[in-house]
Amino acid sequence: MDRRIYSGANVPRGPAITIEHEGESLRAYEGEPLAVALHAAGVVVLGRSIKYHRPRGAFCLAGHCGACLMRVGDVPNLRACQLPCTDGLATQGQNAFPTTDLDVLAATDWLFPGGLDHHTLMTGSKVMNRVMQRVVRKLSGLGKLPARPAEAFPAVVERDVDVVVVGGGPAGLAAARAAAEAGRRTLLLDEQDELGGSLLDTPGLGRDEAARRAREVAAAGVDVSTQTTLVAFFPEEDVLAAVTPAGLLRVVARRYVYATGAHDVNALFVDNDRPGILAARAVARLLLRHGVAPGDAVAIAGDAPTAEPLAGALAAAGIAFERCARPERARGRKQVEALDVDGARLACDVVAVAEMPAPASEAPRTHGVHVELRPAGGGFAVVVDGNGRTSVPGVYACGDVTGYVGPAAAAAQGAAAGANAARTL
Amino acid sequence: MTRVIICRCEDVTLADVEHAVAKGYRDIEEVKRYTGFGTGPCQGKECVALVALALARATGTPPADIEPFTSRPPLTPTPLKFFVNDPSAEEEP
Amino acid sequence: MTPIPERAELCVVGGGVIGLAVAYNCARRGLRDVVVLDKSYLAAGASGRNGGGVRQQWSTELNVRLMRESVALCKDFATELGVNVWFRQGGYLFLSRFPRETERLEKNVRLQNRLGVPTEMLTPAEAREIVPELDAGGFHAACYNSTDGVLFPWPFLWGYAQGAAKLGVQIFTHTAVDAIDVVDGGGFVVRTPRGALRARRVLNASGAWSPEVARLVGVHLPDYPIRHEICSSEPLKPFLKPMVSVLGSGLYFSQSMRGEIVGGVTLRDHHPTLAMGSRLRFLATYARQVTRIMPILGDIKILRAWAGPYDITEDGNPIVGEVEARPGFFLCCGFMGHGFMMAPVIGRLYAELLTGGPKHEIFERWTLERFSRPGGIEREDFIIG
Repeated sequence: MDRRIYSGANVPRGPAITIEHEGESLRAYEGEPLAVALHAAGVVVLGRSIKYHRPRGAFCLAGHCGACLMRVGDVPNLRACQLPCTDGLATQGQNAFPTTDLDVLAATDWLFPGGLDHHTLMTGSKVMNRVMQRVVRKLSGLGKLPARPAEAFPAVVERDVDVVVVGGGPAGLAAARAAAEAGRRTLLLDEQDELGGSLLDTPGLGRDEAARRAREVAAAGVDVSTQTTLVAFFPEEDVLAAVTPAGLLRVVARRYVYATGAHDVNALFVDNDRPGILAARAVARLLLRHGVAPGDAVAIAGDAPTAEPLAGALAAAGIAFERCARPERARGRKQVEALDVDGARLACDVVAVAEMPAPASEAPRTHGVHVELRPAGGGFAVVVDGNGRTSVPGVYACGDVTGYVGPAAAAAQGAAAGANAARTL
Repeated sequence: MTRVIICRCEDVTLADVEHAVAKGYRDIEEVKRYTGFGTGPCQGKECVALVALALARATGTPPADIEPFTSRPPLTPTPLKFFVNDPSAEEEP
Repeated sequence: MTPIPERAELCVVGGGVIGLAVAYNCARRGLRDVVVLDKSYLAAGASGRNGGGVRQQWSTELNVRLMRESVALCKDFATELGVNVWFRQGGYLFLSRFPRETERLEKNVRLQNRLGVPTEMLTPAEAREIVPELDAGGFHAACYNSTDGVLFPWPFLWGYAQGAAKLGVQIFTHTAVDAIDVVDGGGFVVRTPRGALRARRVLNASGAWSPEVARLVGVHLPDYPIRHEICSSEPLKPFLKPMVSVLGSGLYFSQSMRGEIVGGVTLRDHHPTLAMGSRLRFLATYARQVTRIMPILGDIKILRAWAGPYDITEDGNPIVGEVEARPGFFLCCGFMGHGFMMAPVIGRLYAELLTGGPKHEIFERWTLERFSRPGGIEREDFIIG
């Protein structure tokens, strides 16, 4: 199976290569994320869950959730959506015996229909309790220990800037540009390999618009570090630590601007974790950024603002889809085959969950900023004033991390927050 | 088996959260410890808001009165090797 | 807000493992009207923040004997209290780099063997048979006791809390003690935002916060809190049997029943603080030291780091018993980060004291007054991790 439908300038692909997934050779393209290459080849069950051995497949395709962990080469528990394919890459689903597809330990799921309160499990008899503990120890954990020690200990890079902007989506790009145009030494960190964030997955904006704004940012003199994931801000040491392919990055800054966006969250319905059930933005990402048809029949479940753009993109690509309310239940034993929704059965091989994304506030929270749980805003939103100022002096936030606002409003907020951060220096 | 999964990393269900509340664990930090939600590889990125809203419903607490659990480093699972050469590392005495 | 009762026979301040263990054991021995107050949620302090190690390798006879009993109680905890604490006896492996450290280990092993604890001295090569991934280069010797182990701290608290509640103990979380009035003619009035409680006796089991609580009744305590940082890795299939610890640096790590590598190390600052933030310096120090002795862990990902307060005393032993100058006010604090493993036995002994049972020697030797008595101190020097 090959679900790739686009090629050419909009979906730049490296040379065709071969990867080995559980002993089977699959075609991939160099640099394509592993989870995307597997989806394109029709592989959606990537591993088994830690407790009940339920089938697991990608959900957010953005490196945030823990759904797509695999063993890759010698290393366990790697996010398949963040791992670029290379020729000969060997991959393996985890926590499954003998194979990910046919995992006999999935019996755990059926042994405890009412849930498994491991706190009180078999506490009635000393003998049974000891036997149970031995079994649990044997079954515990997810990935196996690496096959060999790390090849090298990466270097440490120290940076000193006026303004550091975290997140290279519409808000962060605008903030970094504004701060740099005000003459401040500005560093922009982004976790993906190309700037743009949600722009990349928004029909009508996409890679071209992201590239245009990235050029403006570069022209303004912003220093950019991509593939950079945050460790945390450490208040007592006054350092923001991050990890880049080159090593540990220690940033000392006078102003912090968080434009970390929002994480995709799942809807609560029965068997909502079946592989093939992805976030709406992840489905858009498959199609728009990677040129992969998500499935033959897509159900867009829910009416968050992420639903409408996806519907447009699927229609434009000629992929069958239906929109529906939040489902009651998913059908399908290993991967989703249908939804029970509004009293009817809706057949589908991919579900795009359109729930309000949750503000990615965990990074600004390491500064101690005030957040507020807003059901309509998707989760714990950073509280800011009209200038993007948080409750902590010197710390700013803009875009979806302040409550989901979407790309256009995010850019306006970013420009204001970046300019204000620069002006107060 | 059919389950409503609220924390995918640790296989925690909505029923588990409600069960914890029924047992008297009503603080989000207590529910985290009792159910294990938010302690896996995503550290709550996908689930903390969902659990907080479920907790608000189950306990009748206004959402604005619920705080998230403490945000702990590292924000992304980070291999030990990246910290080894940090200049603040102390050698064995 | 539920009001607290007007009266109590015993008011325990601090819902950590020590306070709950004492309350549970008191109730089991028939004491009525026991109230436990905690200013936060259960497990918010050191009891919910430790690595779960339970060992019998100590350097004084008293501690070895006490911990032998604690281990026995841990083994039966799940069936007695109805809550799994996942106590796994994978042993404790201590490593020494220098001959003088090895001499300390040998001396302790002789003491432990005499008291029935089967600790053995090992060569570095023998240590590798227990932990094959260990880089034993640079080590001088090791000692190993297979009956030490690790458990999960949180359910331990819940077990005591549920067990105590079943026996009538009333536990109030999110209930800070603002003031304690000393009543003429005996007893106390404990004041909280949920109301005041008249208690005949008060037990200060508030760990790192115990000096603050003691100050409310005019008692000065010599213990003080320091921060200890710790972290947990991604879940891995079981491979590591014992808790491993390096004597000189205080590095320790074990694998939990969920598969995570949980470990910490002693940082060089020891100034008193109740701060519980995590530092990059901790992650860096732990990473450097743990990958040196376990190179295979270099690619293992840390999921989260946190900190908890150690409650430190000058001689490494706790402070227990009634305060001579303040009758009715009892102490159970200063556990040096080892309150967790000691709680089962301390809970039993303390309940005996409070219910007219035998008075164990710890209530003679580990009193507050020992610090001002010449020759009152016997130092415990095996304070690790």
